[in-house]
Amino acid sequence: MKSRTKKLRLLLVLLILLVTGFLISLLEGPVETNFNDLWNLIINNDSTFRTIFIDLRLSRALLAFLVGASLSLSGAILQGYFQNPMAGPFVVGVSSGASFGAVLCIYLGLNIRIIGFSLQSIFAFVSGFAIVSLVYLLSQRKGVFKVETLLLTGIAAGALASALTSFLIFLKADSFEQAVFWLLGSFALSDWNQITAVAPYFFLCFIIAQWLARDMNLLVLGDDVAQSLGCPVNSVRKIFLAISTFLAASSVSVSGIIGFVGLIVPHGIRILIGPDHRHLFLFSSLTGGIVLLYSDLLARTLLQGELPIGIITAVVGAPFFIYLLSQRR
Amino acid sequence: MLVVFLLFSLNAVLFGDQQKIIKDDLDFPYILTSPPQRIISLAPNITEILFDLDLGEKVVGVTRYCDFPEKALKKEKIGGMIDLNLEKIIALKPDLIIGFRGNPLRIIERLRGLHVPLFVLEIGTNLETVFIIIEKIGTITQKEKKAEILVESLKKKYNKTQAALRNVQHEPRVFLSIHGTGLWTCGKGSFLNDLVEKARGVNIAGNIPRKWLHYNREQLIHDNPEVIITLSKSQREFSNVKDWIKNEAHLKGIKAVETDRIYFLDENLAARPGPRLIDALEELARILHPQFFKEER
Repeated sequence: MKSRTKKLRLLLVLLILLVTGFLISLLEGPVETNFNDLWNLIINNDSTFRTIFIDLRLSRALLAFLVGASLSLSGAILQGYFQNPMAGPFVVGVSSGASFGAVLCIYLGLNIRIIGFSLQSIFAFVSGFAIVSLVYLLSQRKGVFKVETLLLTGIAAGALASALTSFLIFLKADSFEQAVFWLLGSFALSDWNQITAVAPYFFLCFIIAQWLARDMNLLVLGDDVAQSLGCPVNSVRKIFLAISTFLAASSVSVSGIIGFVGLIVPHGIRILIGPDHRHLFLFSSLTGGIVLLYSDLLARTLLQGELPIGIITAVVGAPFFIYLLSQRR
Repeated sequence: MLVVFLLFSLNAVLFGDQQKIIKDDLDFPYILTSPPQRIISLAPNITEILFDLDLGEKVVGVTRYCDFPEKALKKEKIGGMIDLNLEKIIALKPDLIIGFRGNPLRIIERLRGLHVPLFVLEIGTNLETVFIIIEKIGTITQKEKKAEILVESLKKKYNKTQAALRNVQHEPRVFLSIHGTGLWTCGKGSFLNDLVEKARGVNIAGNIPRKWLHYNREQLIHDNPEVIITLSKSQREFSNVKDWIKNEAHLKGIKAVETDRIYFLDENLAARPGPRLIDALEELARILHPQFFKEER
C-alpha cells in the first residue's frame, strides 16, 4: 500500500515535470516568444508562429521525449536481461553499432523506405543487433553473465563501431557537422517525419515489454528457476533482446548517439520504486523522456549556438556511472 | 491530340500566370514570382553578390561570417554556415533564402521541409563558377541586367590578369596553406586549386582527388614547393603561420622557406567564391609573377 502511494506520488511529479518541460520548450528559443504569441497561433493560425511553435519547437521537444523514452526503456530491458544495473544501450555498444549501420546506409546512398521502415533504421538495427549478440556471446559463461566481461566487450565493440563510423564519415563527409551529429547526437534538425519514424516503434516495443514484464521478473531469478515456473525463457530472451536493440537503433537513426540516458534513468528508477518490471518499464520510459526533454532544452539554450546533446548527457551521466562502479564490491 | 493538349497544359502550369520555375543546383524547383523583398543569405559570398547587385536593402538576414561590405554587419544574424538558426530564419519571414553548398545537406533538407522559398547554389570547381553564381542570383532576384554588368566587369578584370600572364615561362610549384597552422590545403576539384592554376602556378596537391585535405609532411618536403601561399584573415594571423612554418625544423629545407617566399593572401578575398575572388586572382598572379605586373596599380 505504502509503495503504491509512493509510485502515485512519483507519477504525479513526473507528469508535472513533463507538462512544464513541454511548456518551457515551446516558449523558449532564439526568437523571443511569449504566451500571447502562442495564443495568437491558436486564434489566428499565424503561419510564421505555426512553423516556429509546431514544426520547430514542438517537433523537437516531442522527438527528444520519444528518444529519451526509447533509450531508457531499452536500458531497463537490458539491465533486466543482463541482470546488471550497469547495462544500457550505450555501454553495451548497441548505440555505437546502430550509428555505424545508419552511417553506412547513408554512405551507400540507400535512401529507401520499405513498408514504412526506412532502410536506414533497418541497417541501424542489424548492426546494433550484431554488436549486442557479440557482447552477449562473449560475456556469458555457463549461463552466468560476468559484469566485467559484459562491460569490457561492450566498450571494445562500441569503440570498434565508432571507429568504423568515423572512418566512413571521413571518407565521404559533407562537413564536420555530420561527424558531430552521429557521434554526439543532436535534435537541432528534428522534424515530424522523424517522429513518425520513432513513435510507432516505441509504442509497439513498449506494449510488448509491458506484456512480457512478468516474465522479465522471473528471468531475474535465473533462467532455470524461470523455466521451471513456466516462462519460455529462450523465446522471451530473444524478444527482449530484439526490442531493446530496436528501440536503441530507431533512436540513434534520428538523433545520433546519446549516451548514458539509458543507463542512469532505469537504474535510478529501480532504486526509487523497486525491481518490479511491470512498473519499471513505464516509469523508466516516462523519466527518460523527461530527462532528454530537459537536456535538449539545456543543449539549445546554454550557449548561443547549439550544443551536441551527447555532451550534456555524458557530463551528467559519466560521473554517475563512476559512482555506480565505486559502489560495487 | 491528347499529347499536344497535355503538353500545352503542362506549359501553362509551368509558365502560366507570370510564373516561371527554375531549378537550383540541387535540382529543386524554385518558383519565380515577383522580385523578392526579404532575402536571407546563408553564406558570405552570396551576401557580397547581393550587395553588389544593389540588393543590400532587401537583405534581412546574413550569417555571422558575412562581414563585407560593412553594411552587412548591421544585418540580423541567422547563425553560421553550418549552424543556421532555423527559428530566426522563419521569424524574419523571408521570401527568398539563398543557400550555398558550404551549408550541410542535412540543414538544407530541413529548411526545405519547412516549405520556405529556398534556392541553393553549388560551390563549383573553378573560378568561372563565380560568374554563373552571379547570373543565377541575378535571375532569381530579377536583377539580370545588373548581374550581367557585374559579370562583364569581372570578366574584364579577369581577362586583364590572364593577358598579363600570357608570357609566363615557368610556373612555380605552390603549396597553398588554407587553415592557420597545420598543413591543410586544397586538392583537385576545389576552386582554390583553379585559382592557383589560373594564376599560372602549379598546386602541388592538385592531383589529389579531394577538395580539402591535410597534406602529408613527407610529401611536402618531397614536393619541395617554391612558393608557400598562406590564406589568412589578417596580417597578424599570417605572421603567426609564417613563424610556425619557419620554425618547423623539418620544413627548413623546403625551397620556399629557404628563399623566404612565403606570402599572405587575404582569406576574405580568396576563400569566398564571390566577386572579390577575381581580385584574389590578380593578387596571387602578382605574387607568383611580379615581373609581369611592373606598372603601378
